[in-house]
This record gives sequence, structure tokens and C-alpha cells, in this order.
Amino acid sequence: MASAPKRRPPIRSFINVAAAILVTAAVLYVAFFPAGPLPALGPTFNPTTGAWTMAADAQVGNQALRLHGLQQPVSVLFEANGTAHITAQTDHDLFLATGYVHARFRLFQMDLMRRQGEGRLSEIVGKAALDTDRFELQLGLLRTAQAEWSQLSASDPSRDALIAYAQGVNDRINEAEAAHQLDAMFTLLGYQPKPWSPIDSLLIKGDMTQTLNFTDTPLVMALLNKSLGADLTSEWFPVLPPNQQAPYDPGPYPKASTAPIETMGQVTDAAAQSADALYQRLAALPAGLISQGGASNNWAVAGAKSVSGGALLAGDPHLHLTLPAIWFQLTMDSPSYHVAGVSLPGTPVVLIGHNQHIAWSLTDAQNQQTFFYSEKEDKAHPGMYFWNGAWQKYRTVSYEIPVLAGQATHLDVKLSIHGPVISERGQTTSVWWAGNLPSQDLGVLFRVGQAANYQQFRDALRDWHSPTHNFVYADDVGNIGLISAGYYPLVAHGQPWLPMPGTGEDDVTGTIPYDQIPQVYNPPDHIIWSANQRQVTASYPYYIGTASNFFDPGYRANEIHRVLSQPGKLSATDMQALQTDTRDFLAAEMVPALLASLSGEKLTSTEATAVDFLHSWDYRMETSSVAATIWWHYWGWYLTETFQPWWKSRGIGVDMGEVWDGLTQDLETWTLRDPNNRVFSAPGIGSRSAGDAERKSFHKLIGDLVKMYGPDPRTWTYGRAHQRVLENVAHVTGLNYGPRPDRGDGNTPLAAGGYPSTHGPSWRMVVDWGTHSFQGVYPGGQSENPASAWYTNRVDTWWSGLLDPMLSADMAAPAAGTKTWSLRP
Amino acid sequence: MRITVLVLSGVIVALLGVLLGAWWTPFFVGAAFGLLIHRPAVAIPLGTVSGLLAWLLPLAAAQLRYGLGPTSVSLAEIMGFDHQGALPVVLTLFVGTLLGLTGAWLACAFWMLVRPQPR
Repeated sequence: MASAPKRRPPIRSFINVAAAILVTAAVLYVAFFPAGPLPALGPTFNPTTGAWTMAADAQVGNQALRLHGLQQPVSVLFEANGTAHITAQTDHDLFLATGYVHARFRLFQMDLMRRQGEGRLSEIVGKAALDTDRFELQLGLLRTAQAEWSQLSASDPSRDALIAYAQGVNDRINEAEAAHQLDAMFTLLGYQPKPWSPIDSLLIKGDMTQTLNFTDTPLVMALLNKSLGADLTSEWFPVLPPNQQAPYDPGPYPKASTAPIETMGQVTDAAAQSADALYQRLAALPAGLISQGGASNNWAVAGAKSVSGGALLAGDPHLHLTLPAIWFQLTMDSPSYHVAGVSLPGTPVVLIGHNQHIAWSLTDAQNQQTFFYSEKEDKAHPGMYFWNGAWQKYRTVSYEIPVLAGQATHLDVKLSIHGPVISERGQTTSVWWAGNLPSQDLGVLFRVGQAANYQQFRDALRDWHSPTHNFVYADDVGNIGLISAGYYPLVAHGQPWLPMPGTGEDDVTGTIPYDQIPQVYNPPDHIIWSANQRQVTASYPYYIGTASNFFDPGYRANEIHRVLSQPGKLSATDMQALQTDTRDFLAAEMVPALLASLSGEKLTSTEATAVDFLHSWDYRMETSSVAATIWWHYWGWYLTETFQPWWKSRGIGVDMGEVWDGLTQDLETWTLRDPNNRVFSAPGIGSRSAGDAERKSFHKLIGDLVKMYGPDPRTWTYGRAHQRVLENVAHVTGLNYGPRPDRGDGNTPLAAGGYPSTHGPSWRMVVDWGTHSFQGVYPGGQSENPASAWYTNRVDTWWSGLLDPMLSADMAAPAAGTKTWSLRP
Repeated sequence: MRITVLVLSGVIVALLGVLLGAWWTPFFVGAAFGLLIHRPAVAIPLGTVSGLLAWLLPLAAAQLRYGLGPTSVSLAEIMGFDHQGALPVVLTLFVGTLLGLTGAWLACAFWMLVRPQPR
């Protein structure tokens, strides 16, 4: 008997299958692949291996770990606040363990920094970073790092240190991948870090050099020159500062062996157009790639002037305040290296700190290390430039830039004798940048950490090239010193503050001899200080940069010098207080001048109240101060009132904010010493004096403040006007700290320029060799994991101006809350 | 009894898979339910629950062991959801649930297509 024929499936079964396929495909797609802003949801939210592992990663407990490459057991002790104490029996193991510890807490930050330097950000974030990558590859951090690595001899200890450090980082990468504990940002961005190499550490050093020392100032000067004319440009933006400053090295100086500096000449239309094109390109790059002027403090007091009888040292480098911070605090102990302080994650040495005999800190020296050259080209000689009387062939280097969700981009970089070509719009412009000189700075820091006296410290710094830093020194027998170590390019001829012809006559020919760079040792007044000011007086025989945009206007240095030079002895507590000093030196000069200009002026009741606040002000930029708010806004109004008409009438293509520091020095000087300077009588304004401009600015200002803060001046507290924020390195604003009202401004030793302020004391350290007391703190925490208790645990201490003790491993061991890792081969 | 064993086995397999990093296991467990049980009204809820449990239990264990509050809030911030810490939890459980559900649904749908009821 034949079986009954099967019925064909009903149509709804087909519909059901189709719907199931569609929904399943959609679910599997978003589970396996990124979709728009969403990461691949499956691996990202997998509760055991996805981003949730940041909860486990946030825990730090006692652990026994095996690390590939170790020679002997290593101990790592963590204080309750996260400070790491690494104790090893060989230097190799010390650097390997340092690499492991850095990577354990900062791997994503390290990866971002090396990617920035090697031009590989587009690979993880897509086209948005392509301009940055192109620029970085043109500038050449990667080439420099590769050259530095290849020049390290096999017997150089820093070569071993870099190799061991990379091994430690890779141990952590392998461990984290095996245990699914890579930082959540890797999971969310959907990539895994490639192995670490010594060149990556050198790249990170290059990133810092670029941030501190690659400047567009010659382009800015060219644009100012074109619109203002050579005459006004040299008057407003002179080589030597117009205002009274406090250089730390008063001389006497040796005679220079180079030709004197030329006077300002007129920039041609073609040169100005090329400068403008390049200036616009650089201005469009993310913050941090172009140096915007440094802001750091350090000083020392000799034992003869200290309460304890021992030398005092204080240092607070001012950098972009990020979460995680740029620093990682640790002590490093091996048979030949005993150093405590802060290191840059990604590099194997302590940058700022102390050993058993000496302490040191640094500020940026700010001398000119970037020079632009217009290459002479000719259609008859394609691919060539004219130099030293002959046509030379450009060398070319090629790169492929991988781009997330896009095709890789090819980039050819041309190199002239001066350096990489970074613009071919209009004239071809190449850049000579000291950061491109191979410089074994990590080896220098290694030797600094081993120095036991000033001679060894100074000898070690002889090989430091870039960025130029003011290294302050204090030792355990009461000596102090300060040396602005680095490369000071000498230009044979020409106007180095402008783009120069690339035909050979204006080339960099060498550097100022080491013995003739700014430096002092045990000065007679027993104090030394630096705050990015010009280090030397007008009689220094070499050109080292212009007053505007290379060196700081000098108000922090003046205030520090004012406090240190007062009679009496100083203590570590005084050092701490000076680091958080909010007295605005410029305000102390200019507010009396404003009040004098207003005497006899008819004022409204609101204006009269504002004047009363200014009369009773101590010039401290405290959050509760009303006068601080008035001053802070007033100075902006006064600058604008004076210079904006010039900007408008001359069509100046440079943002006034770019040269704010230079204009501030001018306005201070002319208001106090040349009140009838022509600057106050701008085109269309008519003849007037500084006093006229001050009064007009004040009236406008008060109207403005009423609009912003209300009619009652008593409520105009500075905390309403001024805030600070610590920014997450991955630009996740929700993981920022703040904004929160904060004191200080750009002129106070407690640096807090900008609004909201994102720049400031990235580390504060105070050393008293008389009591063997070492203290320090940075804003943030040791971990980049936002779920960790060590993400922001130091912020409150830092914010309130306090310091934590910098303990040795032995001192830290008995404290409560410590954790220990036993690392074994 | 048979179905209880089946369900328990499915949940355990899905959970083990997730614990070993194979986050997609619930999809196949759901599909297995669909192929073995055939009845959508039973297989799909079982697949859904197994997916949910396979992703929920490790999460709950992490919560007990480490506390997931700061992690959850951080993930929400990174994803642009401000301080809405519950959202990553919901999203996570939703993914696990959907994997189990779609696996079971797809298997049942195909089963019904290739093995239609006789006339």
C-alpha cells in the first residue's frame, strides 16, 4: 500500500524560516562585527573574556607570578596608594619588571602613545586620525627612534635596559591575552596590542619631545611680519623680552663665536602664503602635537639658606593633565640603580626623582629647536632642491598607513638636507627640528639616576639633546645647581625666527658649546629657579629664541624669585606653599596701574564696588576671590581693547591667542613705562594713552561681568569663572575628573591657565636633604582602569596642595594595605 | 525527566562555553534545543533561558567576587551612556538571551520546514 503523500509545507513555515534567518543574521552580525558606533557585542560583552574583565583587572592582590626572561626573583611591593617598589638582583631584571608593571597598569596608554609616534592611530580609530598619522610620519619620530636604536652599541647599558623592558611589557601582553585581561579599551576598539619593541620606548620619548619642543613660531612670525610689517613685528615680538624678568644665570658669559643676530627683514608674499598654508595645517592637528609653550617650575635652595641645613629642591612639571596621568610613580632598586620618582610609562627609567645622594627635576628650557626652510626648486630639476651651489636629489621614504574600515593610504616623505618636507603648498618647506637628532636621552637618564654628585650629574647631561630642559639639582651635602641641558642650534646667518632659504647660507651649523649653555652651581644667594623663563640676560652672546612663543613671559619665575629671595631661611613647608602659590605677579604690577588710571573717574555703584575689591586684593587667584575674577577678565579686555583694532585693520591671520604671551609682555611694559606708545592709538581709534585704554576696558568689563555673573559683584567669585578638568586619554569625557572650580591662573606658580584649565602641575615633588624627607604627588592614580581604586585616588591630595611621602621599599613594607608580587623566572 | 536532563545539559554546555571564552555557545545550544525538541513553544523559551543563564551566571559571579558597579558605570561612560551603569548589564544579558533565542528559533523553523506534518 502506497504511503500517503506528504503535504507541502505551509507558506507560514517559509515565512517563519525567512524571519528566523533575518533576525538571526542581524543578531549574529552585531554579535560578531562592529556596527556603527557599536563594537562587536559578543566579544565585547562576553562576561568572562570581554570588557567586564576590567572588574577583575581592577583588583591588585598578593601574587606569585612567573615571568619569561627573568634571571632572578624580583619583588614588587605596592603601597596602598599604588606606588610601586621594584627590587631586583640584577639591572636586567629591574628593567624587565618595570616593563611588566608599567604594562600591567598602563598598556593602553602606552599603546596609544607609540601609535601616535609611529603614525598608526588610523589603524584603530579610522580616517579621523589620518592627518595626524601623515604628519607624524612626515615629521619623523619613527625614523629618529629607529636611528637611535641602530646607533646604540651592543655594550651600551641602555640597550640592555630597553630590551629587558620590552621583554617585561611583552610578558604582560602575553599574560593578559591568555587570561583575557587586556584593558577594556582594546576590547571595545576591537584590536590587540602588537608586541613591544625597544623602538617603541624611544618613540614615546619622541612624543614628549614633540609636545614640548616642536613649534610653529617661525610660521606665526612670518604671518605677523607680512601683515604688521617688519617694523612693528620686531617691536612687538622682539628677540629679547621687553619686560623685567628673572633669569637664573646672570653671567658673566663667554664671548660668542658666531655672527650677531640680524634685524627683522620683510617677508615676501610667496613666503607668507606658504607659511600660512603650513600654519593652517598644523593648527588643524590635535592639541599636543605642536608645542604651545611650556609651563613648569623648579627651584632649589642651598643648605646655607635652609632651616634644616640641607639643600631643598622642588619641582612641578606642568603638562596636559590626563587620566591616567602621564606619570607612574615607583622606586627602582638593583645593585647599581637606586632611584625613586616618576617614570613615563613606556620607558624604563625615572625621569624626575632622587637617589641616595642627589635629587633632580626639570622644566622645559624653551629655546628655539625648530627651524623652517624654504627649499629652492626648479621645473627643470624635478625631485631636486638647490643647496650649497648644486642640485640635490630628495631622499624619499615610503609608508603604508592602515586605516580602520578603509583602504591603507600610501605616503611618500621627501627628505632634504634640512629634514623632512612637511608642506608643498606654495614653496616647498622642510623642517630642521632638534627632536630629529638621534639622542640617547634614556641612557642619559640612566646615568643621572646613578650620579652621586654634581660633576657626575653634569657629565651625564652632556649627551642630552632634545627637548632642552632646565635640570635643577640638589644633593645630600648641601649643593645646588641648575643646567639647561640640550641642543642650542646655531644658525650661521639669517633670521632664524622666520622660515629661512634652504640654499645653504642659513643652515644650522652646530650647537652652543656645553660649557657655555645657561648653568649655575652654588650661586652666592643660595637659590636657583626656573619657570620656562629666558635663562640668561640680554648680554648673553648667542641667539636662543625670541621672547614671544619660545620663552615664558616670566611672571611665575618672577614670583618664585620674589619669594625665595626674601630674607630668612626656608623649609620644605615653604617649598610646598610656593608650589601652590596663587599670587599673580602680573596682577600685582598692573592692578595698581589700573586703579591709578581710574582715580577721579566717574564710576557706577557696581564699578565702585569692583574697585573696592581690587583695592583690598592681595593678588591671589583664590576661588573665593572676587577681585581675581575682575582681574582675570580685565586683562583679556585690556589686551583686546589695545590690539584687536590692529588685528582688524591689518588683517592679521594669526589668532591673537597664539601670541597672547608676547602681547602681554608688551602691554605690561608699555603701560608701566611707555604709556603713550603708538600701540594704544590703533588705526581708527585716534590718539590715546594707556590710561584711556585701561579706563575703557574697565567700563566694558564691568558691563560684561554683570551679564555673566549678575548685578552683585560680591557674587563674582573666581570659582565661578575658573575651573579645571583632568581629561581621559581616550577622550571619553565621562571618564574625566571635573570640571571643578580651582584656583590659580597662567601666571601663578600654581599654574592653571586656560578655561577650563587642562594643563598644570603634573607632578609635585619636594625634597629636604636636611631631614631626608622626600614627598610627591600627581593628579590621578597609577591605573588606567577607570574601575580601579587607583584611577583617581591621588586627585584630592593633589587638589588640596598636599603631598604624599615618597617612601623607600623598606619604609613602605610595614605600612597597612600593601600588596606584594613575587616575580620568578 | 528526559527534558530536564536535556535542559540542564544545555545550560551547562552553554555556561562552560561562555566561561571558556566561546561566547557564541548559547546560539548552538539553542539550536540543539530546536533540533531535539522540535516544538517551538518549548524549545525557544528553553534556548532563551539557557542563553540568559549562560551570560548571567558569570556576570553574577563577577559581581559577587569583585563588584561590578564601577565597571558598569565606566563601560556606560565609554559607550556614551553617561552614568547609566545599568545599560551595559542589560545589553550584556540581552546579547546572551538573543543568542539562545535565535539559535532555537532558527532550528525549529528549519525543522518545521523539512519535516512538515503528514496529511
